[in-house]
Order: sequence, then structure tokens, then C-alpha cells
Amino acid sequence: MTGFRVSFAMASDVRYLPVVRGAVGALTAAIGWNEAECRAVVLAIDEAITNIIRHAYQGRSDGLIELECRESADGLEFTVLDNGEPPDPSRICAREAGADKPGGLGTHIIRDVMDSVSYQRTESGNRFLAAKRLRKET
Amino acid sequence: MKISIRDVGPAKIVDVDGDVDLGTSGTLRSTLFAALPETSILALNLKAIRYIDSSGIATLIEVLNDSRRLNKQFVLIGLSTAVEEVFRLTHVIRIFRIVQTEQEAVGDL
Repeated sequence: MTGFRVSFAMASDVRYLPVVRGAVGALTAAIGWNEAECRAVVLAIDEAITNIIRHAYQGRSDGLIELECRESADGLEFTVLDNGEPPDPSRICAREAGADKPGGLGTHIIRDVMDSVSYQRTESGNRFLAAKRLRKET
Repeated sequence: MKISIRDVGPAKIVDVDGDVDLGTSGTLRSTLFAALPETSILALNLKAIRYIDSSGIATLIEVLNDSRRLNKQFVLIGLSTAVEEVFRLTHVIRIFRIVQTEQEAVGDL
């Protein structure tokens, strides 16, 4: 086996957000991204989990969230699964950044940081997929 | 996350230490909204914030909008590199008054 894969299963509880950030941050650093890229990817994944807690589970702390991080040939791929409410299409479309309105910032961050982002509704719930290509420091 | 408030001249300075995320931004929000009506300058010291997410940025935007409505000043002190990156990612950095020292934050009065 080459590369790295790690999976989490966690309750939709905000207490676990720092745990996710720590793990994703360690993984991004281990594969060679610089500090700014590591912070950006950590933020994007944190925002994806936060969106699930806020919107799919509407603040409930007993929902299931599964996160898988995989090292691919050219970077990292993330899959996040939940059994909550389907995403609101108006929220998936990030609002125009820069306006002094507080909504939609998380989705904007995710789309800005990650190279590819997609959402799927499955029989068992929601699937969020995101990938970031590796740009190693030379 | 730890929050404390100090009176410095005409200003209230809110010091925050730690991570601002979905689990803590509500406390930051309630603290800032409680302090805002009681001062002419509300300054948020961000120097010890290691992490802020969109819920934290949204909180700051809400406070900024309310400060404008109340004709108060809302000032941010000392963005760390990590926090400044989030401000730039969300393209909101231009809407805030950001200074490096407490003296700059309160010095205009």
C-alpha cells in the first residue's frame, strides 16, 4: 500500500471540530503542503462538517458524520457522509463574497479552497466530495 | 476559547484567546453584542486567536452592521497570519477597520 487513508465516525457535536482540524492538519502537513495550504484545507473541511451540523442536522448533536481522507496520486480527496436533511440548493451556491452579509461564507470558503467539490443525495443520506491537488514546496 | 473585557479610556477591549468555531462563536457573539451598547468604541483583540471559521467571521459582520446602526466604532486589533488568511478568503477584510495596537484602536478620540 502507498499513501494514506483515515476515516472518522463522529457525532454531529461541535466538541469534535477541533479533533477533525487536528487530524486533517497533521495529514496535510505530512504530505508536504505548506502552512498556508494546510490551514486553508483544514478550514474547508471544518466548514463542510460545520455545514452538516448546522443545516443537515439543524444543530442536533446526535447525528452521524463520517469523514474519510484519502491521499490520491496528486493530492487529497475527502468524503463526508451524513444522514441529515438534504442541502438547500441556494446554500450550495455560495453567495457573492465581499458583501457585508454574514450568510454563505462557509460554502464560499470550501469552493475557493478546494479544487473540486460535489454533493450527492444518496438513499442513506448526503455525500460531500472534495479534492485538493498537491502543490509541494520545492 | 477564553474571553475577557477591559475598559481602556473610552473603549471596551475584548480579548479572545483560542479557537473561534461553531462551538464558540455564539459566546463571542453574545459578549460583543452585550458590550456594544455600553461603549463608543468596541475593540476586539484577535492577537491570541489561533483559528476562526466562517461562523466567527459572520459574527464579526453582524457586530459591525449593528455598530453602524448604533453609530459606534467596531475595531479589530492585530490579525494573526492565520486569521488574516480567513478574512482574505471571505473577501471581508476591506469592510473592517483593522489596527495593530490598542493605542491605534482608541487613539482617535
